[in-house]
Amino acid sequence: MIKSKVLIIDDEIEFASTLCQRLKLRGMAAVDVHSGTEGIASLPKMNPGIIILDLKMPDMNGIDVLEKIKEYDPSIEVIMLTGHGSSGSGMEAKEKGAFDYAMKPLDITELLSAIEAADNKRSKA
Amino acid sequence: MDINMENSIRQEQIESFGRLMAGFAHDMKNHLGIIRESNGLMGDILGMGALGEDATLVARLEKSIASIERRVVISANILHHLSGLAHRPDTPCSSFQINDLLEEEYAFLERFSRLKQVAVGWELGEGLPALYNDPALLQHIIYRIYSQCLELLGNGHTLTLLTAQEGKNTLIAFRFPKTSQVDEEIFGNDILRAAIAKIGGKLEILENSSDIVDIRLILSSLDVDNTLQP
Repeated sequence: MIKSKVLIIDDEIEFASTLCQRLKLRGMAAVDVHSGTEGIASLPKMNPGIIILDLKMPDMNGIDVLEKIKEYDPSIEVIMLTGHGSSGSGMEAKEKGAFDYAMKPLDITELLSAIEAADNKRSKA
Repeated sequence: MDINMENSIRQEQIESFGRLMAGFAHDMKNHLGIIRESNGLMGDILGMGALGEDATLVARLEKSIASIERRVVISANILHHLSGLAHRPDTPCSSFQINDLLEEEYAFLERFSRLKQVAVGWELGEGLPALYNDPALLQHIIYRIYSQCLELLGNGHTLTLLTAQEGKNTLIAFRFPKTSQVDEEIFGNDILRAAIAKIGGKLEILENSSDIVDIRLILSSLDVDNTLQP
């Protein structure tokens, strides 16, 4: 059972809302927002433990959003979503403090494993 | 027009195509992401017993959902390779694994062999050292040689792609059964030869007694200092 609240930040509204529904069906407390600015603004109110964050959004670069999240609360674990062909951008995100990264289109099993691992890390902290 | 200017225009054109393709691949992955999540959600709801006890209907829907999932994975894999291919011209020279480069390009070459009903075999060398060279130009050369090989082959033939290390050099070979005398000109037009020369490569045609032809592209890493010069 995932204890952390999950926030999805992705400008693709259909993607974010559908993923959110799938996480809720698995018993998670999940919320989706659709811009980097909205995501950062929602942190105090939503108090997420895990954030699933798109790397490329029109208003803000995912790496910049990641930095803001870590400034706000370093204990929040961020899983970056990337549509890039190589794992380079995902690795860069990990260097900047992301817990893990996943390639789009998502493999839900892999994402669930990453969420579980992030939740375990938070539980032990 | 000055030849250097013409080359610069062509170089920029290739870079523009690369960026356009990379953007296209990125957008398509987003669409596939939505399709995959929506399909997954249908599967989740179906798994919760939303359709009741109609086992036939459930089975039919499960089959469709699995089919969509399978096709999304195949499409995502092609787009993954397209992204890689499109980003190759980003830097004129870089370090890469020859097997990765071949597999990436093969995602697109496969179609041509399939249409000619030519089977493709693989004999990739293991643990090959990274090559420092011009990957975009090399992919262009591979495409040209591959296409020429297919011209000589037909239904039921097999084209085998091999990679190996030969001393300090890396070998890419295209092996196929000898169907007729291989004309060196087919693989050696001036533009292709110039492209091969530009990446410091060499092309050899070996016709073995066992009726096997090997088109051998021999490569080595370029000198880093030379490639940095304008």
